[in-house]
Amino acid sequence: MSHCRRVTALTESSTSEAAKNAALSQDLADVERVLAGEIQAFEGIVRRWQGPLVNMAWRYCRDRGRAEELAQEALIRAWRGLAGWRRDGSFSTWLFALAANVFRSDLKRFPSVNLPMDKVAEPSYPAAQHHDLTARLSAEAVRRAVLALPVRYREPVVLFYFHEMDVAAAARTMGLPEGTLKARLSRARGLLRRRFPQLEAEQVGEESAIRDAGKEA
Amino acid sequence: MNRGDNEAMKLSRIEEILATEEKLAPSSGFLSGVMDRVQEEVRIPPPIPFPWKRAVPGFVLAAGVFGWGGVELVRVVGAAMKGNLLTTPHLSPGMLQPMEQAGWVALALGASLTSWLLARRLTGRSGLL
Repeated sequence: MSHCRRVTALTESSTSEAAKNAALSQDLADVERVLAGEIQAFEGIVRRWQGPLVNMAWRYCRDRGRAEELAQEALIRAWRGLAGWRRDGSFSTWLFALAANVFRSDLKRFPSVNLPMDKVAEPSYPAAQHHDLTARLSAEAVRRAVLALPVRYREPVVLFYFHEMDVAAAARTMGLPEGTLKARLSRARGLLRRRFPQLEAEQVGEESAIRDAGKEA
Repeated sequence: MNRGDNEAMKLSRIEEILATEEKLAPSSGFLSGVMDRVQEEVRIPPPIPFPWKRAVPGFVLAAGVFGWGGVELVRVVGAAMKGNLLTTPHLSPGMLQPMEQAGWVALALGASLTSWLLARRLTGRSGLL
């Protein structure tokens, strides 16, 4: 059984590795064509990266319209600076780092959230009949609270979860050493935990209920 | 359960929320919007480069004026420090007039430099080059 799982995992990882390599070679080919003067080749790059960039921008501002504007600006900057991509790193690393710079400087000029951390609304107490709604409100409150974190802690959180909890990728995007990113993540988590003690209590409550049920059984 | 495990359990709820973000799909006009802007970029002629060759004599002159002003300032302050603290340094009107003119030139150059840097900053570029 475990052997099967290992084989499946290996197959999945090699498939995703192959997909990554294919995307990289496509990016490389498109960049070469654009630099040779074929403007339409940039469409392939936009097609491949528009989704990730819009989602990344969304995590920075949580405003759909603005996320698209920011993603568009990032792609235009990429277009202007395509010649500056050194082929030693992957295209996505270069693009995400460039986009992070664009988003950071734009949001510095026009912040999306001006609320201090202690003014972010706390989720209401859960009511059994509205459990889904309460869960959704809690999730939204936590996500909004990320935007109210001090800037040095906000971006590591945004990028860490955008990169599906890959510390190395988030560190590369920010241009920070991994250790620094981990330290900032840890501090950010501490701030979020302090802001949402209710979520923790809820979790602890669920755990103790499970423990009690186990004892009774 | 030790403290570390407990922390991990407490964290997992917030962690789970942040990790499970719904994926947004770009709007239908996004791709064409980007490509339209790219086409615009291609149509716009490249910006006129700053005429460094022509500006160099001006910069050299400005540096000379500032340098001369600095030397004069040090000399006046040096003289004052040597014991003439209470007396104003005696400057003849013949020497004072060119110094005043140089001061105005230096002030004008400083104002130009400041406004140039401010303009660059406002247009999104920073730094001297």
